[in-house]
Amino acid sequence: MTCHVVPKERAGVVNPIFTCQPAGAQFASIGVKDCIGIVHGGQGCVMFVRLLISQHLKESFEIASSSLHEDGAVFGALNRVEEAVDVLLSRYPHVKVVPIITTCSTEVIGDDVDGVITKLEEGLLAEKFAGREVHLLAMHQPSFVGSMISGYDLAVRDFVKKFAEKGEPSEKITLITGWVNPGDVKELKHLLKEMEIEANVLFEIESFDSPLLPSKDNVNHGNTTVEDLRNTANAKATFVLNRYEGGKAADFLKKKHKVPSVIGPTPIGIRNTDTFLKQLSDVTGKPIPKKLVHERGVALDAIADISHMFLAEKKVAIYGAPDLVIGLAEFCLDLEMRPKLLLLGDDNSKYVEDPRIKALQENVDHEMEIVTNADFWELEDRIKNKGLELDLILGHSKGRFISIDYGIPMVRVGFPTYDRAGLYRYPVVGYNGAAWLAEQMANTLFQDMENKKNKEWVLNVW
Amino acid sequence: MPYHEFEASKCIPERKQHAVIKGPGEDLSHALPKGYLNTIPGSISERGCAYCGAKHVIGTPMKDVIHISHGPVGCTYDTWQTKRYISDNNNFQLKYTFATDVKEKHIVFGAEPLLKKNIHEAFDAFPEIKRMTIYQTCATALIGDDIDAIAQEVMEERPDVDIFVCNSPGFAGPSQSGGHHKINIAWINQKVGTVEPEITSDYVINYVGEYNIQGDQEVMLDFFNRMGIQVLSTFTGNGSYDGLRAMHRAHLNVLECARSAEYICDELRARYGIPRLDIDGFGFEPLSGSLRKIGLFFGIEDRAEAIIAEETAKWKPQLDWYKERLKGKRVCLWPGGSKLWHWAHVIEEEMGLKVVSVYTKFGHQGDMEKGISRCSEGALAIDDPNELEGLEAIEMLKPDVIFTGKRPGEVAKKAGVPYLNAHGYHNGPYKGYEGWVRFARDIYNAIYSPMHQLSNLDISKDEIPTDNGFLTRKMLSDATLPPEVVNDPILKQYDGKLDPIPDLRAKTYPVFPKKEPAPVAAE
Repeated sequence: MTCHVVPKERAGVVNPIFTCQPAGAQFASIGVKDCIGIVHGGQGCVMFVRLLISQHLKESFEIASSSLHEDGAVFGALNRVEEAVDVLLSRYPHVKVVPIITTCSTEVIGDDVDGVITKLEEGLLAEKFAGREVHLLAMHQPSFVGSMISGYDLAVRDFVKKFAEKGEPSEKITLITGWVNPGDVKELKHLLKEMEIEANVLFEIESFDSPLLPSKDNVNHGNTTVEDLRNTANAKATFVLNRYEGGKAADFLKKKHKVPSVIGPTPIGIRNTDTFLKQLSDVTGKPIPKKLVHERGVALDAIADISHMFLAEKKVAIYGAPDLVIGLAEFCLDLEMRPKLLLLGDDNSKYVEDPRIKALQENVDHEMEIVTNADFWELEDRIKNKGLELDLILGHSKGRFISIDYGIPMVRVGFPTYDRAGLYRYPVVGYNGAAWLAEQMANTLFQDMENKKNKEWVLNVW
Repeated sequence: MPYHEFEASKCIPERKQHAVIKGPGEDLSHALPKGYLNTIPGSISERGCAYCGAKHVIGTPMKDVIHISHGPVGCTYDTWQTKRYISDNNNFQLKYTFATDVKEKHIVFGAEPLLKKNIHEAFDAFPEIKRMTIYQTCATALIGDDIDAIAQEVMEERPDVDIFVCNSPGFAGPSQSGGHHKINIAWINQKVGTVEPEITSDYVINYVGEYNIQGDQEVMLDFFNRMGIQVLSTFTGNGSYDGLRAMHRAHLNVLECARSAEYICDELRARYGIPRLDIDGFGFEPLSGSLRKIGLFFGIEDRAEAIIAEETAKWKPQLDWYKERLKGKRVCLWPGGSKLWHWAHVIEEEMGLKVVSVYTKFGHQGDMEKGISRCSEGALAIDDPNELEGLEAIEMLKPDVIFTGKRPGEVAKKAGVPYLNAHGYHNGPYKGYEGWVRFARDIYNAIYSPMHQLSNLDISKDEIPTDNGFLTRKMLSDATLPPEVVNDPILKQYDGKLDPIPDLRAKTYPVFPKKEPAPVAAE
């Protein structure tokens, strides 16, 4: 075995790969229709997360703050939550769902958010907003636990827990996509359509890639409804594509509502997409249609032109969300590449038990390291001081200066990818995602060969 | 100047006193919006927190420093790579950010040992950097970690390092402005007077409230160097830590952003007797006036005049090319704080634009006083605006362009209005004479963007013009201009480089020998 899993040894973080929990909850919240979250904490916890999301998607989304100031930090700030709910509901008549998302500050001062929700339901909602459908729910998101990934996972669970309600059993499945791009959702829905499978998609965020219209329609939002969330209890099965970004919701639905769950694998690459379709077929009894055989063939045809000639043995470092990183590493291995270093940016103790990571440890035949609780210094230090040689980096934009300063080409993938145009529009999942990823990697390597005049003439006759 | 009540804010009546419309013949005595009050929860305000005001706005532009935030990782991540404060040392402060990564166990048992370990790790990882700033966050403020004590301990253990501590948690004030104040005062209390600089000129200044956005500081430094003025420190863009410890030896504090940095100037005046001179690097006339004032203070007006004459001759024809084409275009000037008064009158006078609205996210009443008095009739001034009010104002005022931040800029885009980044700029720098032309160029490019024009066409019902395969900006902007303007032999479009800063960094300057003995208080 040459694949080692090690935690970061340093205490601190030099250039973080992830932000903190409430960011994950906020990203989940914008996927729900008629929902505006209130983040209970300092204003920066919202302002910067809204900025981050708008950097990535080049769109603006509405998330509110309870605007914790000094007096609230000293005397308690539940009055700020009460006022925020009132102001928000008064000014946004369409809003139905209001998650109250806590942060480090309000968890440390111990504000009883669950208690104030009961108070609001019995008071404000019953009186001032009587007759209006409004759902308040608490999301406990202390920033000193987990990361944006666990924050997203908890938020999906909290939404499902709040609304899931046993009714007539349905033939529909629930598809929890994890923290993905509009392009991914589009691709997943395409696969489901070809399979003739009806699904509730959590979350319907295709609309995040929204148009500039003559009508000046200016509100961007996801389209998952309360009804969709309610029906998660009646689905034929819950499919969770990213174990760490929806697994908790599936566990809840399984325990509470006896909905069977299928966890992963993230359908990145041909093989994992095959598995995903097989699982869909097994659960629904629907066959895999010829059309997808064709589509798979188109992707394989494109990949065959580049894999063993150009991508083979290329040394790669991959960082970002755990399911994405593992999925990309698996695909890279299928492409004959050598993932040398995987960086998982938080201290989730479950990663070492992940069967996919165990499989890497058992079967990878080159030197490889997986660092948990990692920061970007784990990558840069190895390049700068420890002789790590790389041909390619896969990851999000926050690592851009490592690529720039050390001259290592990089394919932007994950969240956020603000330093490249339009990436949110393209899928990394499914057969189309596989072809796109492989071609992105190849073209990025080609560009680098030309920039460095490194066998650039090879491409003359390709 | 009646208060303006937004439809969207009728249910929060206290908002009414936060917006005014300047009526005919009115001045400030008629009304002034309230400012710098607690934010209304749930209003979807655009304000940030006091931590970001201290760390992100003022602390981090310091270039030769490890900037470490003591708290959970999010504060650090979120304030990293969201601004454009460059430096001449390969942008160390943009590339590297540090977090102590406080977890639940530290919240329970205290995070001081964690902080200490972090400080050592950071200095070990970057042995060439010997200076550090530490920023408190909400979490570590609430658990009561004594950051100052830990910093002191480390400074005793590592005598070659120096550490500055800023206690400005996110909740410490209604907006980022609270953090500006805290870091100003912390810096003068802890660090000013702890380094003695070498004085090489008879004319010595601190350049204060300047953050080197896209190279602004370096543009202004060029003027000061040409005048033979020694700039001891810049607070803080492209500024060095030790330079800023020597601020007490300047003869004059030249203050640019009075919103974020007047506090340290006022303290330097009170404690060291250094006068404060407010200047303005934006716009030909304000900049010329500023250089003249500095020249006058030191008795070197001739040097200022030479620069003004040279720069104006070179760039005025280009500015005027844009002015002819921007006349009457409506602008919402919606920045964070000081730019509302830095820009309001100058873009009207020098670019011909019409400012239909100003707003400030974190400004105080003083900023509104300056801003509104410089606005023309009919302008809508909004303090601490929120999402719905912004949209309502756009609908009411129908601006041609909006100067605001990245995220609100996306809102403007959907409303069919192009935006320019008022914080980080589109293609800056915007300071200096050339910079001001670059700003005009960016505004022109936004307003006359053929793609933006296309976005207004509804192909399902509008008449679709089929006579053009393309349109250029000039075809749009020059269509109604008189031929003598279009064919004016003097006016011309901007012809500078994509990035003017590398040339400035490579430049050498004439030596102005220092008179002996030194005339001022540098004993």
